[in-house]
Amino acid sequence: MSMDAISELLAERFAGDLTDVRIQEPDTVVARAAREKLKDLAARLKADPDAGYETLNWIAGVDRETGFESIYHVYSWKTNTYLELHVGLPREAPEVDTVTGVWPAADWHERESWDMVGIVYAGHPDLRRILLKDDFVGHPLRKDYVDLAENHPHV
Amino acid sequence: MSERGKTVRYPKLEHFSEPNIITTTADFIFSWARSHSVFPFTYGLACCAIEMLSSGFARYDIARYGMEVFRPTPRQCDLMIVAGTVNEKMAPVLRRLYDQMSEPKWVISMGACATSGGPFYDGYNVVNGVDKIVPVDVYIPGCPPRPEALFQGLLELQGKIQEYRFVPEKPAAPETAAPAGEA
Repeated sequence: MSMDAISELLAERFAGDLTDVRIQEPDTVVARAAREKLKDLAARLKADPDAGYETLNWIAGVDRETGFESIYHVYSWKTNTYLELHVGLPREAPEVDTVTGVWPAADWHERESWDMVGIVYAGHPDLRRILLKDDFVGHPLRKDYVDLAENHPHV
Repeated sequence: MSERGKTVRYPKLEHFSEPNIITTTADFIFSWARSHSVFPFTYGLACCAIEMLSSGFARYDIARYGMEVFRPTPRQCDLMIVAGTVNEKMAPVLRRLYDQMSEPKWVISMGACATSGGPFYDGYNVVNGVDKIVPVDVYIPGCPPRPEALFQGLLELQGKIQEYRFVPEKPAAPETAAPAGEA
């Protein structure tokens, strides 16, 4: 299936759920989704008989200053292409449903995104810090993070 | 205090005339044995570890100094080579492993990160120097230091080990008695 065909298929079959569907790279389609629809959309994307995004590669948390974005990079073994799914989140309450039920690999990626950027993944089975120490204060990859003395006890 | 850069600082063999009998001092024999059988602890944290491993391979060959027996457990080591960036999450682990090493023990801070935080000095999760957690004997500058620099540091440490005296010197007699009433 050509990239144009995949892009059209996604735009038609997921009309209303996926917006801004476009081809970004020779093997990657980028699209946006609303956070309320994510959980259902993820299951449908995975189960789709033609597109079939079975594999989650990574999740990124991004601070866009006006808000946050949770980005899901998924791969289809059927078409040998990627889908990059951007989910915009409001700055004051960056919360989105977990996709661990759809892609189990999301577990640690969502933990890292919460650890670094502070996006809450509702329904996550074990949303703890993963890279930083447990008593770390704040989320250091936020644009407005200032380095705190309590995060540096060894002075 | 002896000058730096010389590795042999301990007293020479006292007596070697009788067959199979060597007379020497306890200080000499202990410091000689200790300084030539250092067991390093494999503590590679970042890219400095690559240089540390490289120093163990055939081209640089740390075995020339009798220090090639890297052990992955602190209980069998007396030298911790902290090779890499120490972050806040690793710091309590590092301290615990240091505490598990048996005495006498030494620490080498290898590279800019372990010495001061290096290029990650302002990092949100970086300890600015491993000497804030454990006492450091020798600092090796570099980013990362070459194996030759690590050897220089190991030789410095050898000299430091050899300076240690096991037998305490006889305390000097007080020159004058303290005046009465002013103790």
